[in-house]
Amino acid sequence: MNKMLGDKKAIFLFTFPALALFTVFVFYPIMQTFYRSFYEWDGINEAVFSGLDNYRELFTDPLFYQSVANCLIFAVILVLFQISAATLLTFALLNPRIKGKKFFRTAYFIPVVLSVTVVCQLWSAIYNPEFGLINQVLEALGSDLHQNWLSDMHFAIFAVTFVNVWQYTGYQFTIIYSGARAIPEDYLEAARIDGCTNWKMNLHIVLPLLKSTFRMCFVFAVTGGLNAYAQMNLLTKGGPGTSTYTLTYMTFRNAFTVGKFGYGCASAVMLVILCLAATVILNRPFKDRDGIMA
Amino acid sequence: MKSGKIKISILTVLLGIVAVIDLYPLVYLIFYSLKSNEEIFYINPFGIPQNPLFSNYEIAVESFNMLNYFKNSIIVSAAAIIFVMLLALPFAYATTRMKWKLKGVMSVYVAIGLFIPIQVTIIPLAILMKQLQISNTYFALIIPYTAFNLAFASMVLQTSFESIPKEMEESAFMDGASVFTAFRKIILPLTKPAVATAVTFIFLNVWNEYTVASVFISNEKVKTLPIGLAAFTGQHSTEWGPMGACLVLASIPTIVIYLIFSEQIERGMTVGGAVKG
Repeated sequence: MNKMLGDKKAIFLFTFPALALFTVFVFYPIMQTFYRSFYEWDGINEAVFSGLDNYRELFTDPLFYQSVANCLIFAVILVLFQISAATLLTFALLNPRIKGKKFFRTAYFIPVVLSVTVVCQLWSAIYNPEFGLINQVLEALGSDLHQNWLSDMHFAIFAVTFVNVWQYTGYQFTIIYSGARAIPEDYLEAARIDGCTNWKMNLHIVLPLLKSTFRMCFVFAVTGGLNAYAQMNLLTKGGPGTSTYTLTYMTFRNAFTVGKFGYGCASAVMLVILCLAATVILNRPFKDRDGIMA
Repeated sequence: MKSGKIKISILTVLLGIVAVIDLYPLVYLIFYSLKSNEEIFYINPFGIPQNPLFSNYEIAVESFNMLNYFKNSIIVSAAAIIFVMLLALPFAYATTRMKWKLKGVMSVYVAIGLFIPIQVTIIPLAILMKQLQISNTYFALIIPYTAFNLAFASMVLQTSFESIPKEMEESAFMDGASVFTAFRKIILPLTKPAVATAVTFIFLNVWNEYTVASVFISNEKVKTLPIGLAAFTGQHSTEWGPMGACLVLASIPTIVIYLIFSEQIERGMTVGGAVKG
């Protein structure tokens, strides 16, 4: 049997297509991005080696700092709101006496399967300063809190971020809920027999057992925030002004609009570095003693 | 126990409030897709449409090019799904069951695709597309989508292959089958649930994809739904009704797929680490 499963020709045939496609269209471009970040390049003519110039320019570019700040704001808000909401919802739904669980779980996940374009167009309408849902509700309640949600320079980033919170909290919820449901019933039974209340059980038993699940959720939320682009593009086109710019926005704009490909690559490299840093940093607090869930 | 009942009621109300926050915007969307601008803006912003304007849907299909976008999305999604499965199934099998030195390395290599944000590759990819002269064609989307979804599909399939007992291949080989036949006739049928999960995920990822498509496609004839719809804000921003109709139509496929395959989706999300760690 080993001979059959070790047949070199078969192995090659089975793996080559996938590896070839992946290398040419994923790995090679990633390497190219890194490589090109050290060059001055307009995409058409010869690229001129410029060493760390692009990075130097990046660190003195106020747009870079604004973009990074927005990425971080996005990431922090996603973590705070999505994960805590998802966790609280999980705790509530874990209660055996709640009815209609399937309905709630479906309701929470539906926004996740919508196209980001649909979501952004819809929220564009909801945020509309004159006729949108929010301002209509506020008016109906007699409030004066009328706002230009998306065209306020300081508030826009939060309005945009909230749209992502709305859409993807259900995703985090499903992950955490599935993880919680996988906890063997005996643990919870034993705790209940010992007189543990539901809330205590959630805090002291369920939560710690979900450490590796939470690590995954945190990584998703943080990298999701750092990579933000579509919502900004669709809702505000990076505006008002550049107040909702992100690193991805910088990358695209520099490469495709301004024609500074090398500079665009440099900002893309910074994005990768930030994502890697986040993944590494998030690994520590979630070190799992393991054994129970595996 | 009375206090128990009150607690349950409060919890249910809170759960319900979140459900409303999640669902009402969609209800609002469906309602306003059937209203006239006047009704949405002034007369009846929140409630059920008084005289449902189904004509909005006609306008959506006729003057908003919806059929074209649907067609393009279907073509790109179907092609990506087929190509990913054609490449990922043998690859996942080879990295789990076959015997060769580099199998672990190759597995991790492809897994990089899961961690790298796609925008990092966009600049060189765009240039590559131009060099290959496939810019603004279906392949400009199908190829990157296939390459990037390989990683996730492989992961799902690897988990499935690992759980098949080794006796399966043993008995096939003893009956004189080659590796290829064993793979095709014995192993593949056993992995149908994982295939369903992978296909569902690839579909959702590709159908809704916006970032890559927004960069690579500018030709109206080839635009997929997310891009086609995005272009509307400028032109038709004052006709909320038909716009809403477009958004509703565009959402029906993914919602239907979700409702049918919700189990597969949940399984796919917990694979590879959420529960295992």
